[in-house]
Amino acid sequence: MTNLDLDLDARLAALAARAPGRDDPPSLTRRRAGRLAIPIALALAVAATAGGVVVAVNQLVRSYPGIENPGQPLEGANLECMSPHDAAAFLAAHGYANVIWQVESGAVTGPKDGNRSVQQATPPEHGYVVPTAVLDDGRLHIVVDQRAGARGSGSCVGMPMP
Amino acid sequence: MTMPDGIASPLAGVAGTSREASGGDPDAFETAVRPHYANLVRRLVVVLGDEDDARDVAQEAYLRAFRSWDRFGGGDVRAWLYTIALRLAFNQRRRRRRWLAAIQRLEPRGWNDTTDPDLWVALGRLDRRTRTALLLSAVDGYTQREIGLILGVPEGTIASWLSRGRATLRRELDPGG
Repeated sequence: MTNLDLDLDARLAALAARAPGRDDPPSLTRRRAGRLAIPIALALAVAATAGGVVVAVNQLVRSYPGIENPGQPLEGANLECMSPHDAAAFLAAHGYANVIWQVESGAVTGPKDGNRSVQQATPPEHGYVVPTAVLDDGRLHIVVDQRAGARGSGSCVGMPMP
Repeated sequence: MTMPDGIASPLAGVAGTSREASGGDPDAFETAVRPHYANLVRRLVVVLGDEDDARDVAQEAYLRAFRSWDRFGGGDVRAWLYTIALRLAFNQRRRRRRWLAAIQRLEPRGWNDTTDPDLWVALGRLDRRTRTALLLSAVDGYTQREIGLILGVPEGTIASWLSRGRATLRRELDPGG
């Protein structure tokens, strides 16, 4: 190994140390792992399968899902256990005035032709709340799953649909 | 090259934290793996050149590692985590690019090292696998054999990548040398 190589190794190490990195990983206890995985999968699945929601897909892939994980803005909020109106009230009380409510309707299984995805500024009457991400522009994106056969997500998976 | 959730440590037997040594405590996963997360993200940023990609892959790798913890054979936890993450990076990145291209959105948020821009540019001349091998060697201190196990390629191939990678960097950084 030459002196240039030794110098190169030192420079590589310094560069690698400067690269941005998060201090903490997502919480990975078994309960939280489900919370992390389900909203991501659901949000991407519903966005990808519903027509006319390319914007939502675009926004999701540029953002950081898992907003209830440790270190994230809504750590421990358990929005998925609330009704849409309760979630809206909680968010308003915590300063989230600009929320996109993406309402998914149709059915989890079977043909997807009847599935719809609508984005609106107000919370719907019912459905499972699936918190997804803070978008690049600061808006909060919340999916409300009203599809037949949906089971909720995270720590309240399986509860009756609000 | 797909990466099953139940991947065994390629470096089983190498000194380090092991599942067995933890006494089977479920909380041992976070204790063992958490300290390596920040460095994993940094390594992925350099390998992939994109912060978002790096964080996505790191998060997914962590989740996969967690799901596989029961089947982790012991050994070097960091190498096990790198194995999952780096192989995932080489596959998932391609899928993600194809998907982004399909919806006509291809705007990576690249990271640039402004402190040593010459080295950053030179690293960019290397393919990702060569860049990865160099980092694992120069920064993480793995041997060629260990890098081969992590990346799933023969040791001789790693030797070739390292030699070629260093030669490229020398040429880029010291063109008159």
